[in-house]
Amino acid sequence: MHLLPRFDYYEPRDVAEACKLLSQFKASAKVIAGGTDILVNMKKGLIAPEYLVGIGKIPGISEIEPVDGGVSIGSNLIIEKLVEFDLIKKKFAMLSKAASVLGSPLVRNRATIGGNIVNARPAADLPPALIAMGARVKLKSRRQEREISLDRFFKGPGVTVIRPGEVLTQIVIDGPPPFTGGDYIKLMHRRSLEIAIVAVASRITLDGPDGIVTDAKIILSSVAPRAVHAVRAEKALIGEKPTEKLFEHAAKIASNECRPIDDIRGSARYRCDMVEVLAKRTLRGAFVEAREQ
Amino acid sequence: MNKYSIINTRLPRVDARAKATGAARYTDDLSMTGMLYGALLQSPVAHARIKNIDTSRAKKLPGVKDVATAQEAGAVRFGVSPARYDETIFCIDKVRYIGDEIAAVAAESLESALEAASMIDVEYEELPAVLDPFEAIREGAQVIHSDYPNNIGAEVHQEFGNVEEAFKTCDYIRTDKFVNKKQDGAFLEPQACLAVYDPDEGLTLHSSTQAPHYVQRTLAMVLGLPIGKVRVVKPYVGGGFGPKASASTLELTACLMAMRTGRPVKMTFTREQVFWHSRARHQFFHELTTGVKKDGTLVALKNTCYLDGGAYSSFGIATVYYAGSLLGAPYKLPNMKYDGYRVYTNKPANGAQRGHGGVAARAAWEQQLDVIAQELGMDPIEFRLRNIMQRGDVTCNDFNMSSLGMKECLEAVRDGSQWEKKKGKLPRGKGIGVACGFFVSGAGFPIYRSETFHSTAMVKLSEDGGTVNLYTPAAEIGQGSDTILTQIAAEALGVRYGDVKIASGDTDFGVDLGAYSSRQTLMSGHAVKQAAEEAKRQVLEVLSEQLGIQADEMDIRDGLVLFKGDGVDFSALRSNYIKEHRGWTDPPTGDRLTFVEAARMAYLARGTIVGRGAYKPGELGGKYKGAAVGTSPAYGCSAQVVEVTVDMETGQVTVDRMTDAHDCGFAINRTNVEGQMQGSLSMGLGEALFEEIKFDGKGRVANPTLGEYRIPTCLDMPNVETIIIESDEPNGPFGAKEVGEGAIMPTIPAILNAVYDATGVRISELPVTSERVFNALKAKKQQ
Ligand SMILES: Cc1cc2nc3c(=O)[nH]c(=O)nc-3n(C[C@H](O)[C@H](O)[C@H](O)COP(=O)(O)OP(=O)(O)OC[C@H]3O[C@@H](n4cnc5c(N)ncnc54)[C@H](O)[C@@H]3O)c2cc1C
Repeated sequence: MHLLPRFDYYEPRDVAEACKLLSQFKASAKVIAGGTDILVNMKKGLIAPEYLVGIGKIPGISEIEPVDGGVSIGSNLIIEKLVEFDLIKKKFAMLSKAASVLGSPLVRNRATIGGNIVNARPAADLPPALIAMGARVKLKSRRQEREISLDRFFKGPGVTVIRPGEVLTQIVIDGPPPFTGGDYIKLMHRRSLEIAIVAVASRITLDGPDGIVTDAKIILSSVAPRAVHAVRAEKALIGEKPTEKLFEHAAKIASNECRPIDDIRGSARYRCDMVEVLAKRTLRGAFVEAREQ
Repeated sequence: MNKYSIINTRLPRVDARAKATGAARYTDDLSMTGMLYGALLQSPVAHARIKNIDTSRAKKLPGVKDVATAQEAGAVRFGVSPARYDETIFCIDKVRYIGDEIAAVAAESLESALEAASMIDVEYEELPAVLDPFEAIREGAQVIHSDYPNNIGAEVHQEFGNVEEAFKTCDYIRTDKFVNKKQDGAFLEPQACLAVYDPDEGLTLHSSTQAPHYVQRTLAMVLGLPIGKVRVVKPYVGGGFGPKASASTLELTACLMAMRTGRPVKMTFTREQVFWHSRARHQFFHELTTGVKKDGTLVALKNTCYLDGGAYSSFGIATVYYAGSLLGAPYKLPNMKYDGYRVYTNKPANGAQRGHGGVAARAAWEQQLDVIAQELGMDPIEFRLRNIMQRGDVTCNDFNMSSLGMKECLEAVRDGSQWEKKKGKLPRGKGIGVACGFFVSGAGFPIYRSETFHSTAMVKLSEDGGTVNLYTPAAEIGQGSDTILTQIAAEALGVRYGDVKIASGDTDFGVDLGAYSSRQTLMSGHAVKQAAEEAKRQVLEVLSEQLGIQADEMDIRDGLVLFKGDGVDFSALRSNYIKEHRGWTDPPTGDRLTFVEAARMAYLARGTIVGRGAYKPGELGGKYKGAAVGTSPAYGCSAQVVEVTVDMETGQVTVDRMTDAHDCGFAINRTNVEGQMQGSLSMGLGEALFEEIKFDGKGRVANPTLGEYRIPTCLDMPNVETIIIESDEPNGPFGAKEVGEGAIMPTIPAILNAVYDATGVRISELPVTSERVFNALKAKKQQ
């Protein structure tokens, strides 16, 4: 049996208290939300924090709230709620879709959106969709609160800009402009309980139902140390009339742009080939959704 | 009126309530006063000489009660087959794989035990690790066991008929290669055991095992105890599939430390340890050459196979035989040649797993048969039907088809899947495939050479007459044998299902070789049936004496005594019974004499009524070397049709539908038969599409978790149409034979054939990952 290393557990009543504890214990403390990552890593002996600060009982960070046409999501919201909530399903469908393929029902009912972000795994399911939608995160510490775009949040596997003493409290997504659509596809070995072989999130905005592409995001996941933009592919879309040919062209560029590695889930070559397939399919999906809006 | 009341029904499992409510206790749930926790120290390197082991630091840790190494455990060798005993409890001079057991600790807490184990200092002199079986057999390769200087632990050479001559008469001959991947049993319950030693009573081991009897014998032999002083008790078991069918170091270590400390010792594997210990399906490298006539008649098969054995023999000597002997059937094949080699490598030992030895061979051959059918321009089902055996046929390697519903199975899946509407008519990306399967219904011989009965059973009637105690050493491991044996006892005795109380899986109850080779329904079933019939005979004899009616003029059914003649007056008997039970709340009423009354009278006349049963197979065919592996009192067979969708851009395979027919002889419990079929299909689907143990360059299992070793989830399993075929096996109890393992046989090749139908590419290496299909599609496009 794997045993957890010894640690002390705190359960602050509000974010301020959590920040205080974290700044007091510094690097020897860690936040625990759903625990689906951190407890696994502790059991494996990869990390051994002396203190765990549980944020589960803090009020006000587990809600989904509409704000100015967009949405603010509490970091402690469990992932299953992203699958279920009407607001997310209707307005931010690609997030809902990404959430629906994360882990299994058991995992989705414990794991939180904040944990999925801060954990910063290269194949995590929510960051690609969130980045494609231009999401920002709110980080609170004892002294300050800052808001930062997710695009600038991830540094590498398990590494983010979050500082010891900071708590991620909210994820903010602006309302999508008119004629915007998105899609997320995760290539998996089996149908559930999978880490992506590769995944792609795409979002496009048109200037009308039959108009040209005015904005485009293609986020590739599981092909680099963190989710990355297929920059040249995005550029290739902007200003163009959305056609099947254009999507194929952009997908090919995306495939050439990525630099994945071989690992036990798949070879680098296959991953690149699949980026092309998934980029094309997500662009198609995004286009259909964009026209419907 | 039905012939039977209890069997051939869908009665719920006897353990349904216990398992559904969580009341069922598994080995790791057990705990005892004064119990210690054991932990193992396992090798971090694949191949090395042990220069020195220093346990002094570990011994000093507070709470540690015992530290054992080979010095304490001794050098008695054990294994599965006595001809290949190549293991000792702890490594003596060498470690042979990452995970090989070097030492163990027993301590007051698991934390201390784990910590102490990590404080044992071992000095290794690393040797080159031999990880590839083809490297291992090369001249000059590093030797793993000094008894086997060429690293071939077992080889088999058999020929029936004359294959080379036969090929000369063939119109079409083709050769194909095929390889599967090393599997894990992936049972839910990791191995666990709890050993208790009492100087007067001896040793008792509670263990998550498939084979209490073999464990008992091994413990006695290795620990130097009389067999009578060793008792093995099996609590509920969460699956085994083969890897739990032999004694393990875990069990021996717990016993050793319990004997040394005088305290109970519990040990449980982590999931990683399950992967390291392994003893699951081998990796097989097959090369098959098959020759046929233009009209589709199968003529000859040449089969060469190399097995990656891992570091120890385990079941391997049987495996290497099965990889040859289970082919041929269910088809008429007059000429068959087999050369098999099981090679040692510095990896976890491989052993037996559902469909022992035959699964990869079957996948390889059934796919090749599909290619041949296509080359001959024949429908794959028609081609198979043309060659299948029937009841009464005998294979070239002397297997007797005492029953065989192969034709019925094939026709059932053809019709059930609407094959004719679909085959050749599906759009690209959609495919349909078929395959057949074949398996033994119990090994014809025990693993050690002996005249022993394979199964014994005891039925005792409670002295009040109301309850039937069934004692069977057979192993319920989740497959449902307790239910089947309870049904058989109830039917044979003539009582109601709920009247029988089963106790099983305890070596104190007698001998049963255990849950492997799909043997218990047939073999333990025979013993139980016989025991129940003997008890019934005694009751009827007493009735006969008391009522003055011939015993054969009476019968017992549904808890009531049936008289052939009219007007039998049993009132004296009844008033006697009622007198005996003054004040009881349930005096028998009605115009029928009950079993309860009769059984009570039998007790009053004779004392406790006990019926005994014992079974071993009769004379079996085959006088050639190795005939003991594959000969069986009966053979099960099956056919499957699988329909798939293949994503032509990603290569991803989705199994949409499976239609499965299995000939189990006679279904004692129809739901249970279907459960075994469904479970087999799911396991086969996993091996076909996902499952593969991967190694890093040093021989370390790279995916020892159920996250990266992927068994199918319920979303991956399609709906399965299960069709039960009953061919009435003359050598089985009530006509029953196997379903537990044989049902897996057609799954992999049926999927492979369906993938081909969908894509036009043949995959000859498992698993059929999306990447493998994608690469094959790409290669085909570039041709
Ligand atoms: C069986 C299984 C399957 C999985 N499948 C998937 C999958 O398919 N896709 C996928 O993306 N992930 C998967 N995961 C990973 C995991 O479930 C997710 O990453 C999850 O979202 C993490 O959330 P949590 O609340 O459990 O995080 P925790 O484990 O509690 O925390 C994770 C990390 O984030 C930090 N943290 C958490 N919340 C905050 C906060 N508010 N502020 C600052 N730091 C914080 C913690 O300190 C820790 O370092 C799987 C995990 C398991 C066990």
